[in-house]
Amino acid sequence: MATTKTATKKPRSKSAAAAKPTLKKKVEFRFETLFEREKAVRELIARTCLTMDAYDFNSYLDLCHEDFQYTITTYSPELRKDIIWLDHDKMGMKTLLDVLPLHASDHFLRLTMSRHLSVYTIDYSANDTRASVVSGLQVFNTAKDGGVTELLSVAKYFDTVALEGGKASLLSREVRLDTRMLGETGSLIPF
Amino acid sequence: MPRTGTQWESRPNLPPTHYVDPRVYTDQSLFEEEREKIFDKVWAIVCHESEVPNAYDYRRCQHMGGKELLVVRGKDMKIRVFYNQCPHRGNVIAFEPSGNAKRLTCIFHLWSFDTKGNCVEITREKEGFQDRLSKKDVGLRAVKSEIDMGGFVWVNVDDDCEPLSEFLGDSIDFLQGELSTAPLEIMCYHKTIVPTNYKLWHDTNRDLYHEFLHRQNRLIAMGQPGYLDRQYHMHVHGHVTADPSVNSYKNIEKGTDIRREMGWPGGEANLHKLLNLFPTVTYNMRPPALRIDTMVPLGPEETIVEFRGYGIKGDSDEVRRERMRDYNSFWGPFGRNLPEDFIAIVGQSIGLNHGRGSPYILHGREEETPHSEVCIRHYFAEWSRMMGRSAADPFNEMPAVAAE
Repeated sequence: MATTKTATKKPRSKSAAAAKPTLKKKVEFRFETLFEREKAVRELIARTCLTMDAYDFNSYLDLCHEDFQYTITTYSPELRKDIIWLDHDKMGMKTLLDVLPLHASDHFLRLTMSRHLSVYTIDYSANDTRASVVSGLQVFNTAKDGGVTELLSVAKYFDTVALEGGKASLLSREVRLDTRMLGETGSLIPF
Repeated sequence: MPRTGTQWESRPNLPPTHYVDPRVYTDQSLFEEEREKIFDKVWAIVCHESEVPNAYDYRRCQHMGGKELLVVRGKDMKIRVFYNQCPHRGNVIAFEPSGNAKRLTCIFHLWSFDTKGNCVEITREKEGFQDRLSKKDVGLRAVKSEIDMGGFVWVNVDDDCEPLSEFLGDSIDFLQGELSTAPLEIMCYHKTIVPTNYKLWHDTNRDLYHEFLHRQNRLIAMGQPGYLDRQYHMHVHGHVTADPSVNSYKNIEKGTDIRREMGWPGGEANLHKLLNLFPTVTYNMRPPALRIDTMVPLGPEETIVEFRGYGIKGDSDEVRRERMRDYNSFWGPFGRNLPEDFIAIVGQSIGLNHGRGSPYILHGREEETPHSEVCIRHYFAEWSRMMGRSAADPFNEMPAVAAE
Protein backbone atom coordinates (compact mmCIF):
# COMPACT_ATOMS: atom_id res chain seq x y z
CA MET A 1 0.00 0.00 0.00
CA ALA A 2 1.39 3.34 -0.95
CA THR A 3 2.00 5.98 1.68
CA THR A 4 3.72 9.33 1.54
CA LYS A 5 5.00 11.97 3.88
CA THR A 6 2.32 14.39 2.79
CA ALA A 7 -0.43 11.84 3.12
CA THR A 8 0.06 11.66 6.87
CA LYS A 9 -0.33 15.44 7.12
CA LYS A 10 -3.71 15.48 5.43
CA PRO A 11 -6.97 15.70 7.39
CA ARG A 12 -8.44 12.27 7.89
CA SER A 13 -11.85 13.34 9.14
CA LYS A 14 -14.36 16.08 8.55
CA SER A 15 -13.59 17.61 11.95
CA ALA A 16 -9.90 17.68 11.21
CA ALA A 17 -10.56 19.25 7.83
CA ALA A 18 -12.81 21.86 9.40
CA ALA A 19 -10.06 22.80 11.80
CA LYS A 20 -7.77 23.55 8.86
CA PRO A 21 -9.90 25.30 6.25
CA THR A 22 -7.00 26.24 3.98
CA LEU A 23 -5.87 22.65 3.78
CA LYS A 24 -9.42 21.52 3.04
CA LYS A 25 -9.64 23.93 0.16
CA LYS A 26 -6.35 22.58 -1.19
CA VAL A 27 -7.62 19.04 -1.04
CA GLU A 28 -10.86 19.94 -2.79
CA PHE A 29 -8.85 20.96 -5.81
CA ARG A 30 -7.37 17.52 -5.78
CA PHE A 31 -9.13 14.57 -4.25
CA GLU A 32 -11.41 14.44 -1.24
CA THR A 33 -9.66 11.47 0.30
CA LEU A 34 -6.54 9.43 -0.10
CA PHE A 35 -8.75 6.56 -1.10
CA GLU A 36 -10.23 8.58 -3.95
CA ARG A 37 -6.81 9.67 -5.09
CA GLU A 38 -5.50 6.14 -5.18
CA LYS A 39 -8.68 4.86 -6.78
CA ALA A 40 -8.28 7.47 -9.50
CA VAL A 41 -4.70 6.41 -10.15
CA ARG A 42 -5.49 2.70 -10.23
CA GLU A 43 -8.52 3.18 -12.45
CA LEU A 44 -6.56 5.34 -14.84
CA ILE A 45 -3.90 2.68 -15.30
CA ALA A 46 -6.53 0.00 -15.71
CA ARG A 47 -8.51 2.05 -18.21
CA THR A 48 -5.45 2.57 -20.39
CA CYS A 49 -5.34 -1.20 -20.73
CA LEU A 50 -9.05 -1.66 -21.27
CA THR A 51 -9.27 1.02 -23.93
CA MET A 52 -6.28 -0.38 -25.81
CA ASP A 53 -7.66 -3.92 -25.53
CA ALA A 54 -10.83 -2.61 -27.18
CA TYR A 55 -8.82 -0.80 -29.87
CA ASP A 56 -10.61 2.30 -28.59
CA PHE A 57 -7.66 4.54 -29.30
CA ASN A 58 -9.45 7.85 -28.91
CA SER A 59 -10.54 6.96 -25.40
CA TYR A 60 -6.99 5.91 -24.64
CA LEU A 61 -5.70 9.28 -25.77
CA ASP A 62 -8.33 11.00 -23.65
CA LEU A 63 -6.68 9.43 -20.62
CA CYS A 64 -3.33 10.94 -21.56
CA HIS A 65 -2.04 14.32 -20.41
CA GLU A 66 -1.33 16.89 -23.12
CA ASP A 67 2.39 16.51 -22.34
CA PHE A 68 2.19 12.72 -22.60
CA GLN A 69 5.39 10.83 -23.46
CA TYR A 70 5.37 7.16 -24.39
CA THR A 71 8.25 4.75 -24.86
CA ILE A 72 8.68 1.02 -25.25
CA THR A 73 12.13 0.05 -24.07
CA THR A 74 14.13 -3.05 -23.39
CA TYR A 75 17.62 -4.12 -22.52
CA SER A 76 19.47 -6.00 -25.22
CA PRO A 77 21.92 -8.59 -23.86
CA GLU A 78 23.19 -8.93 -27.43
CA LEU A 79 24.28 -5.29 -27.57
CA ARG A 80 24.61 -4.78 -23.81
CA LYS A 81 22.61 -1.59 -23.91
CA ASP A 82 19.08 -0.23 -23.77
CA ILE A 83 16.96 -0.01 -26.90
CA ILE A 84 13.92 2.20 -27.49
CA TRP A 85 11.43 0.50 -29.77
CA LEU A 86 8.70 3.11 -29.74
CA ASP A 87 9.13 6.74 -28.80
CA HIS A 88 6.33 9.26 -29.14
CA ASP A 89 4.76 12.32 -27.62
CA LYS A 90 0.99 12.65 -27.52
CA MET A 91 0.72 13.95 -31.07
CA GLY A 92 2.98 11.16 -32.28
CA MET A 93 0.83 8.59 -30.50
CA LYS A 94 -2.31 10.10 -31.98
CA THR A 95 -0.79 10.01 -35.45
CA LEU A 96 0.14 6.37 -34.94
CA LEU A 97 -3.14 5.25 -33.41
CA ASP A 98 -5.25 7.09 -35.98
CA VAL A 99 -3.76 5.10 -38.85
CA LEU A 100 -3.32 1.70 -37.22
CA PRO A 101 -6.67 0.38 -38.51
CA LEU A 102 -5.45 1.17 -42.04
CA HIS A 103 -2.58 -1.30 -41.69
CA ALA A 104 -2.57 -5.06 -42.12
CA SER A 105 -2.04 -6.48 -38.66
CA ASP A 106 -2.17 -9.85 -37.00
CA HIS A 107 -4.12 -8.14 -34.27
CA PHE A 108 -6.89 -7.17 -36.63
CA LEU A 109 -6.82 -10.31 -38.78
CA ARG A 110 -6.11 -13.32 -36.60
CA LEU A 111 -5.71 -12.27 -33.00
CA THR A 112 -7.11 -10.19 -30.21
CA MET A 113 -4.86 -8.72 -27.56
CA SER A 114 -5.49 -8.48 -23.84
CA ARG A 115 -3.39 -6.83 -21.19
CA HIS A 116 -3.29 -8.22 -17.68
CA LEU A 117 -2.15 -5.72 -15.14
CA SER A 118 -1.05 -5.71 -11.51
CA VAL A 119 -0.31 -2.35 -9.91
CA TYR A 120 2.70 -2.94 -7.69
CA THR A 121 3.61 0.42 -6.16
CA ILE A 122 2.30 3.99 -6.12
CA ASP A 123 4.50 6.80 -4.84
CA TYR A 124 3.29 10.38 -4.66
CA SER A 125 5.35 13.49 -5.16
CA ALA A 126 5.83 15.87 -2.25
CA ASN A 127 3.12 18.22 -3.48
CA ASP A 128 0.75 15.39 -4.42
CA THR A 129 0.52 16.45 -8.06
CA ARG A 130 2.31 13.42 -9.44
CA ALA A 131 2.14 9.71 -8.80
CA SER A 132 4.82 7.28 -9.92
CA VAL A 133 3.28 3.91 -10.56
CA VAL A 134 4.99 0.61 -11.26
CA SER A 135 2.85 -2.21 -12.61
CA GLY A 136 3.42 -5.71 -13.86
CA LEU A 137 2.05 -6.40 -17.31
CA GLN A 138 1.39 -9.52 -19.27
CA VAL A 139 0.05 -9.27 -22.79
CA PHE A 140 -1.82 -12.21 -24.27
CA ASN A 141 -2.88 -13.06 -27.80
CA THR A 142 -6.11 -14.93 -28.33
CA ALA A 143 -6.73 -16.44 -31.74
CA LYS A 144 -10.02 -15.55 -33.35
CA ASP A 145 -10.12 -19.02 -34.89
CA GLY A 146 -10.61 -21.45 -32.03
CA GLY A 147 -9.79 -19.08 -29.21
CA VAL A 148 -6.45 -20.41 -28.03
CA THR A 149 -4.59 -17.92 -25.83
CA GLU A 150 -0.83 -17.51 -25.79
CA LEU A 151 1.44 -15.23 -23.82
CA LEU A 152 2.89 -12.53 -26.05
CA SER A 153 4.95 -10.49 -23.65
CA VAL A 154 5.97 -9.91 -20.05
CA ALA A 155 6.73 -6.32 -19.15
CA LYS A 156 6.39 -3.57 -16.61
CA TYR A 157 4.73 -0.20 -16.84
CA PHE A 158 6.64 2.68 -15.32
CA ASP A 159 4.00 5.40 -15.31
CA THR A 160 3.82 8.98 -14.14
CA VAL A 161 0.30 10.12 -13.41
CA ALA A 162 -0.57 13.80 -13.25
CA LEU A 163 -3.03 14.67 -10.46
CA GLU A 164 -4.41 18.02 -11.45
CA GLY A 165 -7.81 19.63 -11.00
CA GLY A 166 -9.21 16.58 -9.31
CA LYS A 167 -8.37 14.45 -12.31
CA ALA A 168 -5.77 11.78 -12.96
CA SER A 169 -4.16 11.65 -16.39
CA LEU A 170 -1.27 9.67 -17.79
CA LEU A 171 1.74 11.95 -18.12
CA SER A 172 4.31 9.40 -19.18
CA ARG A 173 4.56 5.68 -19.75
CA GLU A 174 7.62 3.54 -20.22
CA VAL A 175 6.74 0.00 -21.21
CA ARG A 176 9.80 -1.92 -20.12
CA LEU A 177 9.82 -5.26 -21.89
CA ASP A 178 11.27 -8.49 -20.59
CA THR A 179 10.06 -10.34 -23.67
CA ARG A 180 11.91 -9.24 -26.78
CA MET A 181 10.65 -11.80 -29.26
CA LEU A 182 7.06 -10.80 -29.82
CA GLY A 183 5.18 -13.65 -31.39
CA GLU A 184 5.49 -14.45 -35.05
CA THR A 185 4.82 -11.00 -36.40
CA GLY A 186 5.64 -8.39 -33.78
CA SER A 187 2.88 -5.97 -32.87
CA LEU A 188 1.56 -2.96 -34.68
CA ILE A 189 -0.39 -2.07 -31.57
CA PRO A 190 1.51 -0.51 -28.67
CA PHE A 191 1.25 -2.12 -25.27
CA MET B 1 -13.41 -18.10 -63.91
CA PRO B 2 -13.20 -20.79 -61.20
CA ARG B 3 -11.09 -23.79 -62.12
CA THR B 4 -11.58 -27.51 -61.69
CA GLY B 5 -9.19 -29.62 -59.66
CA THR B 6 -7.32 -30.69 -62.77
CA GLN B 7 -7.00 -27.13 -63.98
CA TRP B 8 -5.85 -26.03 -60.53
CA GLU B 9 -3.12 -28.68 -60.47
CA SER B 10 -1.85 -28.10 -64.01
CA ARG B 11 1.31 -26.11 -64.51
CA PRO B 12 1.01 -22.53 -65.76
CA ASN B 13 1.66 -21.75 -69.38
CA LEU B 14 4.90 -20.02 -68.53
CA PRO B 15 8.57 -21.01 -68.80
CA PRO B 16 9.68 -23.16 -65.84
CA THR B 17 11.91 -20.30 -64.73
CA HIS B 18 8.77 -18.30 -63.96
CA TYR B 19 7.30 -20.48 -61.23
CA VAL B 20 8.56 -22.80 -58.52
CA ASP B 21 7.35 -26.01 -56.98
CA PRO B 22 6.06 -25.10 -53.48
CA ARG B 23 8.10 -27.91 -52.00
CA VAL B 24 11.22 -25.75 -52.39
CA TYR B 25 9.75 -23.92 -49.41
CA THR B 26 8.65 -26.91 -47.35
CA ASP B 27 10.55 -30.11 -48.10
CA GLN B 28 12.86 -31.42 -45.38
CA SER B 29 15.22 -33.26 -47.76
CA LEU B 30 15.68 -30.15 -49.90
CA PHE B 31 16.39 -28.16 -46.76
CA GLU B 32 19.11 -30.60 -45.65
CA GLU B 33 20.62 -30.33 -49.11
CA GLU B 34 20.51 -26.53 -48.93
CA ARG B 35 22.53 -26.68 -45.72
CA GLU B 36 25.22 -28.69 -47.43
CA LYS B 37 25.28 -27.06 -50.85
CA ILE B 38 24.37 -23.45 -50.06
CA PHE B 39 24.53 -22.43 -46.39
CA ASP B 40 27.94 -24.00 -45.78
CA LYS B 41 29.37 -22.62 -49.04
CA VAL B 42 28.43 -18.95 -49.22
CA TRP B 43 29.48 -15.86 -47.31
CA ALA B 44 27.10 -14.58 -44.67
CA ILE B 45 26.92 -11.70 -42.18
CA VAL B 46 26.85 -12.78 -38.55
CA CYS B 47 27.21 -9.43 -36.78
CA HIS B 48 28.82 -5.99 -36.99
CA GLU B 49 32.20 -4.86 -35.73
CA SER B 50 30.47 -2.38 -33.41
CA GLU B 51 28.96 -5.32 -31.53
CA VAL B 52 32.46 -6.11 -30.26
CA PRO B 53 33.91 -2.60 -29.89
CA ASN B 54 36.52 -3.29 -27.21
CA ALA B 55 39.42 -5.65 -26.80
CA TYR B 56 38.26 -9.02 -25.44
CA ASP B 57 34.63 -8.39 -26.40
CA TYR B 58 32.85 -11.44 -27.76
CA ARG B 59 29.53 -12.02 -29.46
CA ARG B 60 27.83 -15.37 -29.70
CA CYS B 61 26.20 -15.86 -33.11
CA GLN B 62 24.53 -18.56 -35.10
CA HIS B 63 25.61 -19.41 -38.61
CA MET B 64 22.92 -20.07 -41.19
CA GLY B 65 24.18 -23.62 -41.53
CA GLY B 66 23.45 -24.19 -37.85
CA LYS B 67 26.94 -23.81 -36.39
CA GLU B 68 27.39 -21.94 -33.13
CA LEU B 69 29.93 -19.18 -33.69
CA LEU B 70 31.94 -16.92 -31.43
CA VAL B 71 33.08 -13.55 -32.77
CA VAL B 72 35.98 -12.28 -30.67
CA ARG B 73 38.00 -9.08 -30.70
CA GLY B 74 41.53 -9.70 -29.50
CA LYS B 75 43.97 -7.55 -27.60
CA ASP B 76 45.37 -6.63 -31.03
CA MET B 77 41.85 -5.34 -31.90
CA LYS B 78 41.56 -7.89 -34.67
CA ILE B 79 38.24 -9.66 -34.99
CA ARG B 80 38.37 -13.43 -35.29
CA VAL B 81 35.62 -16.00 -35.60
CA PHE B 82 35.59 -19.51 -34.16
CA TYR B 83 33.15 -22.30 -33.62
CA ASN B 84 31.65 -21.68 -30.20
CA GLN B 85 32.47 -25.20 -29.23
CA CYS B 86 34.93 -26.75 -26.84
CA PRO B 87 37.10 -29.37 -28.61
CA HIS B 88 36.89 -31.60 -25.53
CA ARG B 89 33.26 -32.69 -25.23
CA GLY B 90 31.58 -30.29 -27.63
CA ASN B 91 29.99 -27.99 -25.09
CA VAL B 92 29.36 -24.41 -26.14
CA ILE B 93 31.96 -22.11 -24.64
CA ALA B 94 29.99 -18.87 -24.47
CA PHE B 95 26.43 -19.06 -23.25
CA GLU B 96 25.63 -15.36 -23.04
CA PRO B 97 24.84 -13.47 -26.26
CA SER B 98 27.79 -11.16 -25.65
CA GLY B 99 30.43 -10.34 -23.10
CA ASN B 100 34.07 -9.50 -22.42
CA ALA B 101 36.66 -12.06 -21.37
CA LYS B 102 40.42 -12.34 -21.70
CA ARG B 103 40.06 -16.08 -21.63
CA LEU B 104 37.23 -18.10 -23.05
CA THR B 105 36.68 -20.88 -20.57
CA CYS B 106 34.38 -23.84 -21.01
CA ILE B 107 32.27 -24.24 -17.90
CA PHE B 108 32.26 -28.03 -18.18
CA HIS B 109 35.91 -28.94 -17.41
CA LEU B 110 37.47 -25.46 -17.44
CA TRP B 111 39.48 -25.79 -20.62
CA SER B 112 40.51 -22.26 -21.60
CA PHE B 113 41.27 -20.52 -24.87
CA ASP B 114 42.73 -17.15 -25.74
CA THR B 115 41.22 -14.68 -28.20
CA LYS B 116 43.37 -16.09 -31.01
CA GLY B 117 41.80 -19.51 -30.57
CA ASN B 118 44.76 -21.16 -28.85
CA CYS B 119 44.05 -23.56 -26.06
CA VAL B 120 45.90 -22.16 -23.03
CA GLU B 121 44.66 -24.47 -20.30
CA ILE B 122 43.71 -28.11 -20.11
CA THR B 123 42.72 -28.93 -16.60
CA ARG B 124 45.10 -31.61 -15.24
CA GLU B 125 46.57 -32.00 -18.70
CA LYS B 126 49.57 -34.21 -17.93
CA GLU B 127 47.66 -36.46 -15.57
CA GLY B 128 45.02 -37.22 -18.11
CA PHE B 129 46.69 -37.07 -21.48
CA GLN B 130 50.37 -37.64 -20.54
CA ASP B 131 52.11 -36.78 -23.85
CA ARG B 132 49.45 -38.18 -26.15
CA LEU B 133 47.60 -34.89 -26.61
CA SER B 134 48.48 -31.35 -25.68
CA LYS B 135 47.10 -27.84 -25.87
CA LYS B 136 48.48 -27.25 -29.36
CA ASP B 137 46.29 -30.10 -30.63
CA VAL B 138 43.02 -28.70 -29.36
CA GLY B 139 42.76 -25.09 -30.52
CA LEU B 140 39.39 -23.69 -31.50
CA ARG B 141 38.11 -24.18 -35.03
CA ALA B 142 38.78 -20.91 -36.87
CA VAL B 143 36.23 -19.70 -39.39
CA LYS B 144 37.14 -17.62 -42.43
CA SER B 145 36.04 -14.08 -41.83
CA GLU B 146 36.33 -10.64 -43.37
CA ILE B 147 35.15 -7.24 -42.20
CA ASP B 148 33.58 -5.47 -45.15
CA MET B 149 30.66 -3.57 -46.65
CA GLY B 150 30.21 -1.18 -43.75
CA GLY B 151 32.07 -3.02 -41.02
CA PHE B 152 30.04 -6.20 -41.09
CA VAL B 153 31.54 -9.47 -39.95
CA TRP B 154 31.25 -11.85 -42.88
CA VAL B 155 32.00 -15.53 -42.42
CA ASN B 156 32.28 -18.61 -44.55
CA VAL B 157 32.63 -22.03 -42.92
CA ASP B 158 34.10 -23.46 -46.13
CA ASP B 159 37.90 -23.17 -45.85
CA ASP B 160 38.18 -23.39 -49.64
CA CYS B 161 35.64 -20.69 -50.43
CA GLU B 162 36.15 -17.89 -52.91
CA PRO B 163 37.12 -14.48 -51.50
CA LEU B 164 34.28 -12.30 -50.26
CA SER B 165 34.97 -9.75 -52.99
CA GLU B 166 34.31 -12.35 -55.67
CA PHE B 167 31.15 -13.50 -53.95
CA LEU B 168 29.80 -9.94 -53.81
CA GLY B 169 30.98 -8.87 -57.24
CA ASP B 170 29.94 -5.34 -58.14
CA SER B 171 26.74 -5.43 -56.11
CA ILE B 172 28.44 -3.40 -53.40
CA ASP B 173 29.07 -0.41 -55.70
CA PHE B 174 25.46 0.59 -55.28
CA LEU B 175 25.92 1.43 -51.58
CA GLN B 176 29.58 2.31 -51.53
CA GLY B 177 28.98 5.94 -50.56
CA GLU B 178 26.63 5.18 -47.70
CA LEU B 179 28.78 2.38 -46.31
CA SER B 180 32.20 3.98 -46.56
CA THR B 181 31.78 7.69 -45.81
CA ALA B 182 31.47 7.29 -42.04
CA PRO B 183 31.79 4.26 -39.77
CA LEU B 184 28.53 2.61 -38.79
CA GLU B 185 27.40 1.72 -35.31
CA ILE B 186 24.63 -0.60 -34.29
CA MET B 187 21.64 1.04 -32.59
CA CYS B 188 19.19 -1.76 -32.12
CA TYR B 189 18.69 -5.45 -32.61
CA HIS B 190 15.84 -7.87 -32.51
CA LYS B 191 14.97 -11.22 -33.91
CA THR B 192 11.91 -13.29 -34.62
CA ILE B 193 11.34 -16.98 -35.13
CA VAL B 194 8.80 -17.23 -37.86
CA PRO B 195 7.13 -20.46 -38.99
CA THR B 196 8.09 -20.15 -42.60
CA ASN B 197 10.86 -20.84 -45.08
CA TYR B 198 13.77 -18.43 -45.22
CA LYS B 199 13.33 -17.94 -48.97
CA LEU B 200 9.85 -16.54 -48.48
CA TRP B 201 11.25 -13.75 -46.32
CA HIS B 202 13.95 -13.04 -48.84
CA ASP B 203 11.45 -13.18 -51.73
CA THR B 204 9.48 -10.49 -49.93
CA ASN B 205 12.55 -8.33 -49.40
CA ARG B 206 13.35 -8.55 -53.12
CA ASP B 207 9.84 -8.15 -54.40
CA LEU B 208 8.88 -4.49 -54.66
CA TYR B 209 5.52 -5.50 -56.13
CA HIS B 210 4.50 -6.28 -52.56
CA GLU B 211 4.77 -2.61 -51.62
CA PHE B 212 1.02 -2.51 -52.22
CA LEU B 213 0.81 -4.31 -48.86
CA HIS B 214 2.30 -1.38 -46.99
CA ARG B 215 0.32 1.76 -46.35
CA GLN B 216 3.54 3.58 -45.60
CA ASN B 217 5.12 2.62 -48.93
CA ARG B 218 1.99 3.52 -50.86
CA LEU B 219 2.08 6.99 -49.36
CA ILE B 220 5.76 7.81 -49.34
CA ALA B 221 7.12 6.04 -52.42
CA MET B 222 4.62 4.57 -54.85
CA GLY B 223 3.05 7.85 -55.85
CA GLN B 224 6.32 9.62 -56.45
CA PRO B 225 7.37 10.65 -59.98
CA GLY B 226 9.60 8.04 -61.58
CA TYR B 227 8.60 5.27 -59.20
CA LEU B 228 7.72 2.89 -62.02
CA ASP B 229 10.73 3.90 -64.13
CA ARG B 230 13.10 2.11 -61.81
CA GLN B 231 14.88 -1.03 -62.93
CA TYR B 232 16.38 -4.07 -61.25
CA HIS B 233 20.05 -4.82 -61.77
CA MET B 234 21.31 -8.38 -61.62
CA HIS B 235 24.70 -9.21 -60.16
CA VAL B 236 26.78 -12.34 -59.73
CA HIS B 237 25.61 -15.15 -57.45
CA GLY B 238 21.98 -14.10 -57.53
CA HIS B 239 22.47 -10.71 -55.91
CA VAL B 240 20.16 -7.93 -57.02
CA THR B 241 19.80 -4.17 -56.65
CA ALA B 242 17.02 -1.85 -57.73
CA ASP B 243 17.24 1.79 -58.68
CA PRO B 244 16.57 3.81 -55.54
CA SER B 245 13.11 5.08 -54.80
CA VAL B 246 12.54 8.71 -53.96
CA ASN B 247 10.61 8.96 -50.72
CA SER B 248 8.44 11.87 -49.67
CA TYR B 249 6.97 11.89 -46.20
CA LYS B 250 4.58 14.77 -46.67
CA ASN B 251 1.58 12.44 -47.00
CA ILE B 252 2.08 10.73 -43.69
CA GLU B 253 2.71 11.72 -40.14
CA LYS B 254 0.90 15.04 -40.14
CA GLY B 255 1.75 16.48 -36.75
CA THR B 256 4.29 13.77 -36.22
CA ASP B 257 7.12 13.94 -33.74
CA ILE B 258 9.45 12.16 -36.16
CA ARG B 259 11.99 14.33 -37.97
CA ARG B 260 13.58 12.96 -41.10
CA GLU B 261 15.87 15.71 -42.25
CA MET B 262 19.14 14.44 -40.86
CA GLY B 263 19.93 12.13 -43.77
CA TRP B 264 22.95 9.87 -43.98
CA PRO B 265 26.61 10.61 -44.78
CA GLY B 266 27.46 9.70 -48.34
CA GLY B 267 23.82 9.37 -49.36
CA GLU B 268 20.80 11.46 -50.18
CA ALA B 269 18.23 11.97 -47.44
CA ASN B 270 15.20 10.96 -49.48
CA LEU B 271 16.65 8.01 -51.42
CA HIS B 272 15.73 4.51 -50.37
CA LYS B 273 18.13 1.81 -51.57
CA LEU B 274 17.79 -1.96 -51.45
CA LEU B 275 20.53 -4.52 -51.93
CA ASN B 276 19.57 -8.16 -51.71
CA LEU B 277 22.35 -10.70 -51.45
CA PHE B 278 21.85 -14.39 -52.07
CA PRO B 279 20.75 -16.28 -50.08
CA THR B 280 19.74 -14.44 -46.90
CA VAL B 281 21.12 -10.90 -46.54
CA THR B 282 19.34 -7.61 -47.23
CA TYR B 283 20.73 -4.08 -46.95
CA ASN B 284 17.86 -1.62 -46.61
CA MET B 285 19.16 1.96 -46.67
CA ARG B 286 16.42 4.44 -45.85
CA PRO B 287 17.94 7.52 -44.26
CA PRO B 288 18.36 8.31 -41.46
CA ALA B 289 18.98 4.64 -40.66
CA LEU B 290 20.21 1.42 -42.22
CA ARG B 291 18.51 -1.92 -41.68
CA ILE B 292 20.24 -5.25 -42.22
CA ASP B 293 18.33 -8.53 -42.36
CA THR B 294 20.07 -11.84 -41.85
CA MET B 295 18.60 -15.26 -41.33
CA VAL B 296 19.26 -18.56 -39.65
CA PRO B 297 17.03 -21.20 -41.22
CA LEU B 298 16.16 -23.74 -38.53
CA GLY B 299 14.14 -26.02 -40.75
CA PRO B 300 12.21 -25.86 -43.98
CA GLU B 301 9.38 -24.10 -42.22
CA GLU B 302 11.11 -22.34 -39.34
CA THR B 303 13.49 -19.41 -39.61
CA ILE B 304 15.19 -16.96 -37.30
CA VAL B 305 15.14 -13.52 -38.91
CA GLU B 306 17.54 -11.04 -37.33
CA PHE B 307 17.16 -7.28 -37.72
CA ARG B 308 19.88 -4.78 -37.01
CA GLY B 309 19.45 -1.02 -37.16
CA TYR B 310 22.45 1.25 -37.69
CA GLY B 311 23.38 4.84 -37.16
CA ILE B 312 26.73 6.56 -37.45
CA LYS B 313 29.54 6.04 -34.97
CA GLY B 314 29.91 9.17 -32.87
CA ASP B 315 26.27 10.25 -33.20
CA SER B 316 25.16 12.39 -30.26
CA ASP B 317 22.56 10.85 -27.98
CA GLU B 318 19.94 13.16 -29.48
CA VAL B 319 20.77 12.22 -33.05
CA ARG B 320 20.95 8.55 -32.16
CA ARG B 321 17.54 8.67 -30.54
CA GLU B 322 16.10 10.37 -33.62
CA ARG B 323 17.55 7.76 -35.96
CA MET B 324 16.26 5.00 -33.70
CA ARG B 325 12.81 6.56 -33.51
CA ASP B 326 12.55 6.75 -37.28
CA TYR B 327 13.97 3.26 -37.83
CA ASN B 328 11.70 1.63 -35.30
CA SER B 329 8.61 3.48 -36.49
CA PHE B 330 8.99 1.44 -39.69
CA TRP B 331 11.02 -1.59 -38.87
CA GLY B 332 11.03 -2.20 -35.17
CA PRO B 333 8.89 -4.96 -33.66
CA PHE B 334 6.25 -2.26 -33.09
CA GLY B 335 6.87 -0.63 -36.46
CA ARG B 336 4.28 -0.14 -39.14
CA ASN B 337 5.95 -2.10 -41.92
CA LEU B 338 7.63 -5.12 -40.41
CA PRO B 339 4.58 -6.74 -38.83
CA GLU B 340 2.81 -6.38 -42.19
CA ASP B 341 5.55 -8.29 -43.97
CA PHE B 342 5.41 -11.00 -41.34
CA ILE B 343 1.67 -11.48 -41.54
CA ALA B 344 2.05 -11.81 -45.32
CA ILE B 345 4.63 -14.58 -45.21
CA VAL B 346 2.91 -16.37 -42.34
CA GLY B 347 -0.19 -16.31 -44.51
CA GLN B 348 1.82 -17.77 -47.38
CA SER B 349 3.03 -20.58 -45.15
CA ILE B 350 -0.49 -21.36 -44.01
CA GLY B 351 -1.54 -21.46 -47.66
CA LEU B 352 1.37 -23.67 -48.68
CA ASN B 353 0.13 -26.21 -46.15
CA HIS B 354 3.44 -28.04 -45.86
CA GLY B 355 3.72 -28.38 -49.62
CA ARG B 356 0.20 -29.67 -50.11
CA GLY B 357 -1.38 -26.30 -50.85
CA SER B 358 -0.82 -24.35 -54.02
CA PRO B 359 0.59 -26.57 -56.80
CA TYR B 360 3.06 -23.86 -57.82
CA ILE B 361 4.16 -20.37 -56.83
CA LEU B 362 4.29 -17.79 -59.58
CA HIS B 363 7.25 -15.52 -60.16
CA GLY B 364 6.19 -14.68 -63.68
CA ARG B 365 5.80 -10.90 -63.90
CA GLU B 366 7.83 -9.38 -66.72
CA GLU B 367 7.85 -5.62 -67.04
CA GLU B 368 10.41 -2.85 -67.10
CA THR B 369 9.41 -1.63 -63.66
CA PRO B 370 10.16 -2.53 -60.05
CA HIS B 371 7.08 -4.73 -60.16
CA SER B 372 8.82 -7.28 -62.32
CA GLU B 373 9.56 -10.58 -60.60
CA VAL B 374 12.87 -10.96 -62.39
CA CYS B 375 14.51 -10.27 -59.02
CA ILE B 376 13.10 -13.52 -57.63
CA ARG B 377 13.81 -15.45 -60.83
CA HIS B 378 17.42 -14.33 -60.55
CA TYR B 379 17.51 -15.74 -57.02
CA PHE B 380 16.13 -19.10 -58.08
CA ALA B 381 18.52 -19.31 -61.00
CA GLU B 382 21.37 -19.22 -58.47
CA TRP B 383 19.53 -21.61 -56.17
CA SER B 384 19.06 -24.06 -59.03
CA ARG B 385 22.72 -23.73 -60.04
CA MET B 386 23.98 -24.49 -56.55
CA MET B 387 21.47 -27.22 -55.84
CA GLY B 388 21.69 -28.87 -59.26
CA ARG B 389 17.91 -28.91 -59.36
CA SER B 390 15.20 -27.01 -61.14
CA ALA B 391 13.16 -24.95 -58.68
CA ALA B 392 10.12 -25.63 -60.85
CA ASP B 393 10.68 -29.38 -60.76
CA PRO B 394 13.09 -30.14 -57.92
CA PHE B 395 12.40 -33.87 -57.92
CA ASN B 396 12.57 -34.37 -61.71
CA GLU B 397 8.97 -35.42 -61.90
CA MET B 398 8.34 -33.60 -65.16
CA PRO B 399 10.81 -34.71 -67.83
CA ALA B 400 9.87 -31.85 -70.12
CA VAL B 401 10.76 -29.31 -67.43
CA ALA B 402 14.00 -31.00 -66.48
CA ALA B 403 15.12 -30.97 -70.10
CA GLU B 404 14.64 -27.20 -70.52
